[in-house]
Amino acid sequence: MLMTGAQYIESLRKLNTRVYMFGEKVDNWVDHPIISPSINSVKMTYDLAQDPEYADLMTAKSDISGEVVNRFSHLHQSTDDLRKKVKMQRLLGQKTASCFQRCVGMDAFNSEFSTTYEIDKKYGTEYHKRFVDYLKFVQDNDLVVDGAMTDPKGDRSKSPGQQEDPDLYVRIVEKREDGIVVRGAKAHQTGSINSHEHLIMPTIALKEEDKAYAVSFAVPSDVDGLYMIYGRQSCDTRKLEEGADIDLGNKQFGGQEALVVFDDVFVPWDRVFMCEEWDFAGMLVERFAGYHRQSYGGCKVGVGDVIIGAAALAADYNGANKASHVKDKIIEMTHLNETLYCCGIACSAEGYPTEAGNYQIDMLLANVCKQNVTRFPYEIVRLAEDIAGGVMVTMPSEKDFKSDLKVGKNGETIGEICHKYFKGSPVTSTENRVRILRFIENVALGTAAVGYRTESMHGAGSPQAQRIMIARQGNIEAKKELAKNIAGIK
Amino acid sequence: MLCGVKFCGGCNPRFERGKALEELKRHFADRIEFAHAQEGTVYDVLLVIGGCTNCCASYCEYETRKGNIKLWDGSHVERIIDELEQMLKTYNK
Repeated sequence: MLMTGAQYIESLRKLNTRVYMFGEKVDNWVDHPIISPSINSVKMTYDLAQDPEYADLMTAKSDISGEVVNRFSHLHQSTDDLRKKVKMQRLLGQKTASCFQRCVGMDAFNSEFSTTYEIDKKYGTEYHKRFVDYLKFVQDNDLVVDGAMTDPKGDRSKSPGQQEDPDLYVRIVEKREDGIVVRGAKAHQTGSINSHEHLIMPTIALKEEDKAYAVSFAVPSDVDGLYMIYGRQSCDTRKLEEGADIDLGNKQFGGQEALVVFDDVFVPWDRVFMCEEWDFAGMLVERFAGYHRQSYGGCKVGVGDVIIGAAALAADYNGANKASHVKDKIIEMTHLNETLYCCGIACSAEGYPTEAGNYQIDMLLANVCKQNVTRFPYEIVRLAEDIAGGVMVTMPSEKDFKSDLKVGKNGETIGEICHKYFKGSPVTSTENRVRILRFIENVALGTAAVGYRTESMHGAGSPQAQRIMIARQGNIEAKKELAKNIAGIK
Repeated sequence: MLCGVKFCGGCNPRFERGKALEELKRHFADRIEFAHAQEGTVYDVLLVIGGCTNCCASYCEYETRKGNIKLWDGSHVERIIDELEQMLKTYNK
């Protein structure tokens, strides 16, 4: 049963999720001004699913229950499903100009589904059935699930078991008759606080000596022993200013990351999907990363669409829209953005069925997609800053623009002086010009830069992780043969 | 006449898909009932509205008596009006 956006927010209120921020417990985190914009972004995934103009992308028919479910909890049944996933992400990027946080769950479902099938095939375990039952529960209740992979990792030169502190990777600390007890943490977890559930996966391929770290399981967000510490974002406290609006750049929407701590959390067996099968940790990681690298060919493109629009508006409002170099910069931004989309669509179109039956993306093309995402958004936002002008970071505050304090010799107020000197083209008001410049500021170096810049760099794996996969998948020996044939080398 | 309507998901539409439907609704006022397509209902015709040339909406699951017509550009509205007018002539006979 699909939830409405309003029902989603109410469902969060029913959870006893433990959240900490600025050294204090946040009791009403749903309405907290720093957190609520990120909840609105997730809410959009529910709202659009109810709208016939968007339902074709936002929903799908479950292969498990036969019911219509939100596409974020769907198992991809075809390359068409893979393409529609990317299109859905572009749509949501356009509607929120933010990370909408629900992709990690979707990507985890699809990688867990195929990996548990293959674990069972080798070991005769029953993880796949457990996982399908769990996913049916998620689909039936239209839940948001934090697909959690990244461990804190400590000293990167050491394996999990070699760390001075063994908790730096999530691990099994006790196996009981009725389940397992886990300890550790997952770092910079997107949308974790806004999720009903957490689906945990290992973060790297493992060796046998590290089998205690080969663990995958699901728990509710308010399970005993789980708590989250909110990740702060650049300029986040602007949201705490009274009446904050224009200076936020994007008042309504935002992203969210947190440190998720597992302080000896008990997990019953029916929620355990991997327990010491160390030789499958790499498969799960690789498949999740592949899907998530595909995702970025949709979500960042949608945000890019908004940035391109903002840059074009800034040009209009600055009176610079007819300058040939400005037009060319907008063409370049569009070219870069659509190149990312091409990669997202291409790795989807070249997808293939797994042994379990759901569809996996083409791994080489997905890694090329994400490698481009580590670069192009930086160039897109650099060009937006270029077009916007330095004024986007030197303007007075919203309060100055609204101030009645008389400061001029003829009784002019601060507000009047600001409106006089920050006026641009007569096509619009000073306020509208300030609004679009603040939007660009926010995405370039404010709260939204977390999602558009650094997340583009490191989310779904840092650039070198993709280069390793590209090297593995590059088929260089076959290319050498091609060259030999053409050059007449025997 | 009952016309089912199926929109694509609207990831990057080149025109306002909703407005195109409104235009058709206005033109046919009381003569054609437009309803968002649902499985289990048999429509006289299904109108598929896409936001670009790909027109990627899924629609195989819907039943119709006279098939599907597709609109993927704002300029197609007149053509769709002509096609529906022709269908109405047959329908009313």
